[in-house]
Amino acid sequence: MEMNVRAAEVTRRFGRTEVLKNVNLSVGRGVFGLLGPNGAGKTTLLRTLATAIEPSTGSLSLLGFDPKDPGERRAFRRRLGYLPQTLGYYPNFTVFEFVEYFALLKEVPNKDVKPAVARAIERVGLGDRAKSKMKTLSGGMIRRVGIAQAIVNEPELLLLDEPTAGLDPEQRVLFRSLIRDFGERDTVVVSTHLVEDVGAACTEVALMDGGGIVFRGTPEDLKARGEGHAIGDSPLERGYGAVLAGARS
Amino acid sequence: MREHPDTAAHIATCDDCQACAALDRAALDVDLEKAWTGVAAEAWAGRRPWPERMAARLLGSPALARALATTPSLFLSWILASSAVFLAGVLVTPVSGEPWAALIAPALAGAGIAYAYGPGVDPAFEIMRTTATSGRMILLARALAVFALNAALGLVASLFTAATVGLTVGWLLPMTTVSALALAAATLTRSTNAGVLVALCAWGMVVSVSAARVRDLDATVTTGALMPFYAVATAVFVALVLYSINAQWEEPVWR
Repeated sequence: MEMNVRAAEVTRRFGRTEVLKNVNLSVGRGVFGLLGPNGAGKTTLLRTLATAIEPSTGSLSLLGFDPKDPGERRAFRRRLGYLPQTLGYYPNFTVFEFVEYFALLKEVPNKDVKPAVARAIERVGLGDRAKSKMKTLSGGMIRRVGIAQAIVNEPELLLLDEPTAGLDPEQRVLFRSLIRDFGERDTVVVSTHLVEDVGAACTEVALMDGGGIVFRGTPEDLKARGEGHAIGDSPLERGYGAVLAGARS
Repeated sequence: MREHPDTAAHIATCDDCQACAALDRAALDVDLEKAWTGVAAEAWAGRRPWPERMAARLLGSPALARALATTPSLFLSWILASSAVFLAGVLVTPVSGEPWAALIAPALAGAGIAYAYGPGVDPAFEIMRTTATSGRMILLARALAVFALNAALGLVASLFTAATVGLTVGWLLPMTTVSALALAAATLTRSTNAGVLVALCAWGMVVSVSAARVRDLDATVTTGALMPFYAVATAVFVALVLYSINAQWEEPVWR
């Protein structure tokens, strides 16, 4: 299978703190879940893959491009969709204007911008709020606008950091279906601490702790690791707990 | 009009019914989703304000124009506040005898640049930095716009107090001219680095030539005679940006 994301021995330091420690990761087509407790390094790994920050050491290959080369980085960024953990927005922009802004920055061809924006807004179920100002939206709606800007350029690599935070159960179901659709054609990497998201939408999962990847497999593999482990309300939670306990012992 | 029975046997053998069925199938082939998206896009997209439309034409890039429109230090409230502060400086200067307008101008320009670009200032900076549009190009366009605004305010203030003339001529105008040159060179070469290099070299040459002619290093920024030169040069550089954009067929590619 073609690997769209390859990270080799990637380390990232902020001052003296090493947040990512020699991460090796290869991800192909499908929905890849990144699980882990707060501070495990999930967000830093996603920011690194999104080229928002540079690795301190190690190398990356993203959709076949080397992000160290400015020309290749730009080519990669055209094909990237990224939803950061905290979505900053312009309060006086309408939903349409906000998504359009990122379609323009991603260099979607001019003639395609408006239909692409309308399609992205429809896909996140915000058609009835397209002309509303961002400042009038609820937290869950703003999260959906964030998802719309991430998918507006039909990305080949979609990186989503805590995408379901603030979504109600109905929206969460809609969202999972959306990323499954993307995962059929492209690569989706979703960071979350909600194990039910992983069970419902992911084809593969990695568990991070202390800046490294301590488990990688299918959701079924993770469930299997939880057999006999007492802590957790679902098989996935028990697997999560068992792997973490094993990594920390 | 002839009655046609609605039965499979009749439809299969009747030429008229077959023709009607073909029309129905053609109608069903219309991509309703695509049609709706097109209608929705037109209904939802608002008309952008004229400064943004003008900037899009000038810069040849709707992305850069929108990025310019989102500059925190170019919002209307900021511009009004800057104008009010300048006005206060102009009014107080003749009364107090101190050059308040001239003292205020650098602080306003500095604050304008500080609030033009970067994390903590631009709410969507994290996503913006991961897009294909060059962050350095955005910074350059925003810097030019901030300097131009301050130069314009300085020029207006100069009409009322002589204390601002020197500052506007010596600092704000050259700053705007050099920024315009950097943007023009970056646009022509498609390289932000080249733009900055050309601007720095050109400014170095102007200072050297000016110093050699009047044997005074300060002459470049203290001689009012250079004001028309800066104004003309700024206009030429803006025209160059326009020309280079119009001369290229492809969409701008920034590095």
